[in-house]
Amino acid sequence: MNNIDIELVSVSKSFAGIPVVKDLNLKIPQGEFVSILGPSGCGKTTTLNMIAGFNTPSAGDIRVRGKSQNRVPPERRNLGLVFQNYALFPHMTVAENVGFGLRMRGTSRSDIAVAVDAALRSVRLDGLAARYPKALSGGQQQRVALARAIAPRPSVLLLDEPLSNLDLKLREAMRIELKEIQEQLGMTFVYVTHDQEEAMAMSDRIVVMWQGVIAQQGEPVSIYRNPATRFVADFIGRSNILPVKARNGGPGFLDLLVDGTPIVLRSSHTGRSTSVASCCIRPESIALMTDPAIQAGLQNRLDGVIKRIVNLGAQLELLVEISGGLNLTVLVRSGLSGRVPELASTVTLGIDPQEVLVLSD
Amino acid sequence: MSHVLTFLFWLAIVLVLTFITLPLLVVVAASFSPTSAVTFVPWEWTFDWYGDLLADRWLQPFLLSVKIATLVAIISGVLGVLAAYAIVYERVPGSDALMAGLLSPLSVPQIVKGVAIVLFLSIIGLQGFLGTPALIAAHVVLALPFVTRMAATSLANFDGNLDRAAQSLGASKRQRLQHIVLPMIKPGVLSGVTLAFIISFNNIPLSVFLVRPGDTTLPITVINYLEYSLDPVMAAVNVASMAFILTVIFLFEKIGGFSAQLHGGSK
Ligand SMILES: Nc1ncnc2c1ncn2[C@@H]1O[C@H](COP(=O)(O)OP(=O)(O)OP(=O)(O)O)[C@@H](O)[C@H]1O
Ligand SMILES: [Mg+2]
Repeated sequence: MNNIDIELVSVSKSFAGIPVVKDLNLKIPQGEFVSILGPSGCGKTTTLNMIAGFNTPSAGDIRVRGKSQNRVPPERRNLGLVFQNYALFPHMTVAENVGFGLRMRGTSRSDIAVAVDAALRSVRLDGLAARYPKALSGGQQQRVALARAIAPRPSVLLLDEPLSNLDLKLREAMRIELKEIQEQLGMTFVYVTHDQEEAMAMSDRIVVMWQGVIAQQGEPVSIYRNPATRFVADFIGRSNILPVKARNGGPGFLDLLVDGTPIVLRSSHTGRSTSVASCCIRPESIALMTDPAIQAGLQNRLDGVIKRIVNLGAQLELLVEISGGLNLTVLVRSGLSGRVPELASTVTLGIDPQEVLVLSD
Repeated sequence: MSHVLTFLFWLAIVLVLTFITLPLLVVVAASFSPTSAVTFVPWEWTFDWYGDLLADRWLQPFLLSVKIATLVAIISGVLGVLAAYAIVYERVPGSDALMAGLLSPLSVPQIVKGVAIVLFLSIIGLQGFLGTPALIAAHVVLALPFVTRMAATSLANFDGNLDRAAQSLGASKRQRLQHIVLPMIKPGVLSGVTLAFIISFNNIPLSVFLVRPGDTTLPITVINYLEYSLDPVMAAVNVASMAFILTVIFLFEKIGGFSAQLHGGSK
């Protein structure tokens, strides 16, 4: 196990008596890229500000490498911070911005120059050192903000939705770059975002927050594959969520009776058999069965009618009504060889029991 | 319809500008008058009256006014920034009351303030302070609300994230004030200070109670002179002090003229 860089122990925060963060426990290992992901208002920024020292926890303890930070002011925490609105110093050039942290520490001019060069090169901004922030594009400003934060080599970098002001193309390019920079520097990144794609693309670990508590944490794939709650299933990726009652389905299987319908879905996730309340099926794990031979041997076979087709470019999104008036969203590749699905046509859907995920709420 | 509105709009602007500038133009013209009457004859004019300005009679009051206005600008600048800092940045307890208190002199007519200061000084036996010290103190009281207000507005508009960014980069409070906060509010403070200078330099209603005979500020000297004579020297004095004020405004604008850098980037 890596060393723990940051630890939150039963951290709570209330504003004027209203709890915003509730009894948060979190360990962030050194060198990891951890995303705090959640919808607007769930307490992400508040949590980040407590780590940075701008908010004092109402209860609990924040530790950086084992040392309690409750009495350490932000300027002595040695954590880098990147803001959504960049917060570049408008009266300083790019080089002065990037060198600011070292200058405040009394580093010599020549050392600052070297560090500024290195930081600007790592964000691919060499050549713009003499410009003022207002003469830069949004993407360039974001890179300067990043360079400024990493130039003093903090052990941890805190980023609060740093890409949300950029357009989609740039945002996607910056995701990859951010991840590369993080790996090169071996720095711990705590990355706050409400964009689940962003979190999936970059993180070693995702902490899903919801209404001030951690709903689930883990590797991106495992959260996607095994959402713990209905909220997580819904928030991370797309999903069809159906309320069900569970029943023993024989060895290795669970039979799920979909409420209000005669449909029974078979799931191979037997771990939580007693507390199952709903199930989640990802749209891309529902297959459109065209071969009658395969249809025969299916565990979960559903017949339905296509009610809507949305062309997403690489994929088609189908809305299929199955018996009991239930609608399922299905994603299929557009380049599907053979027949193209037609509106109002009858189709057969197949779902692998592996893909029927069970949820406890 | 919109043509009519546009026309009325420009008509209003022209009228207002005419109303403001015409008297000034008359004064400027009169200062070149060849006779000792305050008149203007376009084809005959002289610079003689401006020569008279270098006499002690005008030069001494001018220098006194400059001295007082400079000190008032500096003192009210420092006090205004400190007050705004306490009220807006530190949010000391009772900061709203403090701001109201600092702005309250605005609601007292200057003549009343002048009388009050004279009475106050004589009651506590400090008549000796009449003259320059009293003038400086009174002008500071007069200018402080403006300077404080402008510094406070700059501070309130200051993006707190800049301060937080600096803090996360390891800057102590003193360093943040020096490198971030002060540079960011500098334009607002300089405007306030310029205003303080002008308020002091032009002041009559308050100064009239506080000057010592024979040691008067420029506007008071002009008033005194007007009681006995009206000649083109008056016009020349006014034109010269107008030019001086414009120069001061221009210089301050130059010093603080990095406003271009302040926009865009972060906000
Ligand atoms: N200083 C404050 N005073 C009172 N309430 C606050 C304060 N700061 C945050 N809150 C409240 O706390 C809740 C969480 O705020 P926070 O900024 O942490 O959300 P967030 O998860 O960062 O959301 P977003 O994605 O919109 O940035 C919100 O309901 C907000 O209104
Ligand atoms: Mg936020």
